[in-house]
Amino acid sequence: MTVEVQAKPSRLPHLSSDKQLTFIKLAVLSMAAILSFGTRLFSVLRFESVIHEFDPYFNYRTTRYLTEEGFYNFHNWFDDRAWYPLGRIIGGTIYPGLMVTSATLYNIMQFLNITIDIRNVCVFLAPFFSSLTTIVTYLLTKELKDEGAGLVAAAMIAIVPGYISRSVAGSYDNEGIAIFCMLLTYYFWIKAVNTGTILWATMTALAYFYMVSSWGGYVFLINLIPLHVLALMLLGRFSARVYVAYSTLYCVGTILSMQISFVGFQPVQSSEHMLALGVFGLCQLYAFTQYLRERLSPANFELLFKALLTTLLATLGTAVVALTLTGKISPWTGRFYSLLDPSYAKNHIPIIASVSEHQPTSWSSFYFDLQVLVFLFPAGLYFCFSKLTDANIFIILYGVLSIYFAGVMVRLMLVLAPVMCIVSGVAASSLLSLHVKDIEPKVEKHEKKKKHENNLVFRSEVGALFVCVLGCLLISYVFHCTWVTSEAYSSPSIVLSARAHDGARIIFDDFREAYTWLKMNTPEDSKVMSWWDYGYQITAMANRTVIVDNNTWNNTHISRVGQAMASTEDKAYEIMQELDVDYVLVIFGGLVGYSSDDINKFLWMVRIGGSTERGAHIREADYYTPSGEFRVDSDGSNTLLNCLMYKMSYYKFGLVYTEGGRPPGFDRVRGAEIGNKDFNLDVLEEAYTTEHWLVRIYKVKPLPNRGV
Amino acid sequence: MSKIKMLPAMDKLRFSFIFLLFIVIKCESVNVDTVSSDIRFKNVDRTIDISSQLVKITSKLTLENTGGTPVKNFLLAVEQFAKNNVAFVGAKDSSGKDLRLVETTVKGHDQVRFWRVDLKDAVNAGSTAIVTVETVLTKALQPYPTAITQQEDQLVKYNGNLYTYSPYLVASQKTNVIINTKSVESFSKVKPFTQQDGAIQYGPYPNTKPFSEKELVIHYRNNSPFLTVTRVERLIEVSHWGNIAVEEVIEIEHSGARLKGPFSRYDYQQDHHSGPASVRSYKTLLPASASDVYYRDTNGNISTSNMKVKKDSVELDLRPRYPLFGGWRTHYTLGYNVPSYEYLYHTGNDYLLKMRIIDHIYDDMQVDELVTKIILPEGSTSVKANLPYAVTRLPDSLHFTYLDTKGRPVISFTKKNVVENHIQDFQLRYTFPRLLMLQEPLLVVGFLYALFLCVIIYVRLDFSIHKAEHHHKD
Repeated sequence: MTVEVQAKPSRLPHLSSDKQLTFIKLAVLSMAAILSFGTRLFSVLRFESVIHEFDPYFNYRTTRYLTEEGFYNFHNWFDDRAWYPLGRIIGGTIYPGLMVTSATLYNIMQFLNITIDIRNVCVFLAPFFSSLTTIVTYLLTKELKDEGAGLVAAAMIAIVPGYISRSVAGSYDNEGIAIFCMLLTYYFWIKAVNTGTILWATMTALAYFYMVSSWGGYVFLINLIPLHVLALMLLGRFSARVYVAYSTLYCVGTILSMQISFVGFQPVQSSEHMLALGVFGLCQLYAFTQYLRERLSPANFELLFKALLTTLLATLGTAVVALTLTGKISPWTGRFYSLLDPSYAKNHIPIIASVSEHQPTSWSSFYFDLQVLVFLFPAGLYFCFSKLTDANIFIILYGVLSIYFAGVMVRLMLVLAPVMCIVSGVAASSLLSLHVKDIEPKVEKHEKKKKHENNLVFRSEVGALFVCVLGCLLISYVFHCTWVTSEAYSSPSIVLSARAHDGARIIFDDFREAYTWLKMNTPEDSKVMSWWDYGYQITAMANRTVIVDNNTWNNTHISRVGQAMASTEDKAYEIMQELDVDYVLVIFGGLVGYSSDDINKFLWMVRIGGSTERGAHIREADYYTPSGEFRVDSDGSNTLLNCLMYKMSYYKFGLVYTEGGRPPGFDRVRGAEIGNKDFNLDVLEEAYTTEHWLVRIYKVKPLPNRGV
Repeated sequence: MSKIKMLPAMDKLRFSFIFLLFIVIKCESVNVDTVSSDIRFKNVDRTIDISSQLVKITSKLTLENTGGTPVKNFLLAVEQFAKNNVAFVGAKDSSGKDLRLVETTVKGHDQVRFWRVDLKDAVNAGSTAIVTVETVLTKALQPYPTAITQQEDQLVKYNGNLYTYSPYLVASQKTNVIINTKSVESFSKVKPFTQQDGAIQYGPYPNTKPFSEKELVIHYRNNSPFLTVTRVERLIEVSHWGNIAVEEVIEIEHSGARLKGPFSRYDYQQDHHSGPASVRSYKTLLPASASDVYYRDTNGNISTSNMKVKKDSVELDLRPRYPLFGGWRTHYTLGYNVPSYEYLYHTGNDYLLKMRIIDHIYDDMQVDELVTKIILPEGSTSVKANLPYAVTRLPDSLHFTYLDTKGRPVISFTKKNVVENHIQDFQLRYTFPRLLMLQEPLLVVGFLYALFLCVIIYVRLDFSIHKAEHHHKD
């Protein structure tokens, strides 16, 4: 914000102030980078260095495999531990960027004799990359506006909760590095557009390749950049620089992205990538017409142009129709549809809708995740519009598009957060530099603006007031971000903690207790059935084969498990025999009041179970009371009270006193005394239940001997 | 020319061949002893403690020299059926001093294990000496029945020898079996015997012949923890900066009667007598100066443990993630730091490390396999190990960690069937030039120096191939 202020007088004194400025910039930037690392360590300090949640466990497991077995084995890895009996080709169905990154870091450190455990590399990767993101944000904003705005944006992105939510220590997921890759690509893209050199365009392609290798969200990027080019064309700003930048990016980037086996031929086949291809073609046409226009007379040019345009559109149209009909161009995937039509998933694909992070965003979570940025964003957009450049158009497009997408899916808040920071950084910096100037008594200004003398009376006071207000807002932003990070985003969810009456901390470590039990005390080849949420954790921590996991690629298989859970014991036994299940694992929170347990997820199991042909007999309505309620007490539907999930959750629970003054078998999550207390299990046997009953594991009994 | 050159190589070869031969002979050679007819045991007082998972036999032998020449040593023998269970044999004289024991063989008794005890003072003709022998057997108690339900008590069977197994005549002997319980299903009844609470006395039996055996079976309740450490890897990392880091990777199995049928958490929580044979927790004693203790497994920290600092030790109350029932296994890593001044001595460049080969894991522990590794500081040479009992030395290796260039030497050895009596110190002598202490700081300094130098050069000089004509617009 002070870059313009610096004077350019004699050489010696100028040098020292220049050095001071460099020092301040370096200090602010490195502090922001360190802060962004530090603020993500809450969970490590409070609990331990541990991987969080569900998906990170899969990533951790694959990373371990990569470091132990090498890249080629990893690439060809057929995993027989998941999706029994189908298995999963891991190498061809993941974005390997994350694993390769941490394995590379790990190997480099091993080479330098820095003996850090691979788990710790995984845990601290996301904070490390958010430090890098901070620096890239600075560079990007510097390209857009100036260094001051860059520093403000860097400081903002260091602590923005919308980004922290996906990048705390232990949250070892694709998004952790993908945001860095995305911003890096944008930075190089802006550079390429501004300079028009092949070097920067190739760098963009390389960064894009890194992005493709690490996150499926690259689709957003490969649509945004063509959109930018298109916008530049429409605004008449298309130039040779843009032409060079985009053509290089598209050619190199597409070829590189096709090297990722999970992406394969999608960049030239699927509809999601067609915008990029179309804009590429348009670029060539545009450049060609420019070339022709220079050589031909206007009349001839007009004729040629019209003829060319009609033939081209006609052939293109028929080609698209033909390719779609022959299936060469794949239709849009469910997730993409749900981006365009938020109600699509709810109506068509229960599996996508059942994931909480795919729900539409509520207004409050915008404020929760972005706080003051929400108000600074429009101001920043104004400043971008007021001085329109190629780069500013890009950032405006990015901002507007990501606001829309963030509104559709909670998870895409992540994409919005960086642009919010950048634009707000521009806003805060512009506003501040506007008013800070007023506070300082300026000698030179008096002569120039003599006619505004009367305004000057309150000018410095108003300036000071404004700076104070903005300062307060920014300080409240800092407090808000720290609070959100500490309260909402720093629980590892694999270890739960609660406060006892006397204020002491109780730790519920039941998940790891159960997984370790499975790992140590069951035969190596046993098959464990559970709801798909826990699949990744079971394979990673218990090293046992699971029927379904979080990679929800086979709907019928998941549906089969849902049917087993929703059926009566003997029906379920048939399904379990069919799937060769040895152990069944359920999560039950009724004793300690852990609300995201399997009974609360049960309706999704019923829905997903009933969504296929073989589960047609399972109807959601059967699990409700006649008045349409979902109850587990004695008023509950009979179907519910006798299904496998109910029995597994509440086996012997009817005898337990959970709260004073309540009857035995009082479920603390549902707040009701359970309706079916006295029952035995015929085909299952309690194998293990954890200390707080959070995880219950049952063994499937073998078929009884004949004649007994 | 070539001949001369060959010679040293040949020499080396021959030398190493001889050396190898020497080793082979050394390994193959076994002591051979004969049973002296001059010795007889005047009286044997034997106590067999089978109240824990171990069989601890303490015998007070009154040795008598009936011959004409002084006796300098005598033999101990262990029956054929128990010879693989022997974990430890030790002997003390009447003043409580340890006597030297050497394993040996006797012609004609190939199936019997013998030890030769060297007496401090020779026993003259006609006089007697008292020697106390302690023998510890592992896995000699068999759970019977082999599988029980959660609520049942664990019953075990002890199969032993009613008489003291000895190559000599025993004039009189008594045996006292400690079982610490009143519930005995059955026991061998060879008169004279008496059963008091928690113990059964047999004898005295007069004049038993050498190598006499008679079956002794006791079937009784034993709910003491039957835990076997199937493998423990103890890693001792010595730093000359004042710290010794100890880390133990432990695999434990409940080796008692297996759990039959379901595990009911409800019963286990309601009734504290439920699961009498299961192990909820156990105590590990660490050195008194131990600090920064951690207890974790591959899935992370195990949050269920307590630490008590006592006067002469640190007591850890370790609770595995789940209670251990028969056949259940668990594994964990336990680590701590101790200050090096308590264990590391030096004069000049010569160092002496004196630490325990294995430390306490739980009371009456039995360890199937122990691997101890000692990581010495980088640059340590001429390492000599002095061990209190026979272990298998594993090949030395190198360990690389922070700021290492050529690796730290690792001395490792292994031993099977280890019990508490093996908690003894080893001594490790090595040479370490004290100047090498400066290597690591200098490495850091050098690296930073090089880094700054690079930055200075990069900033001061212009590396661009051609000057940009115009800086892009601001």
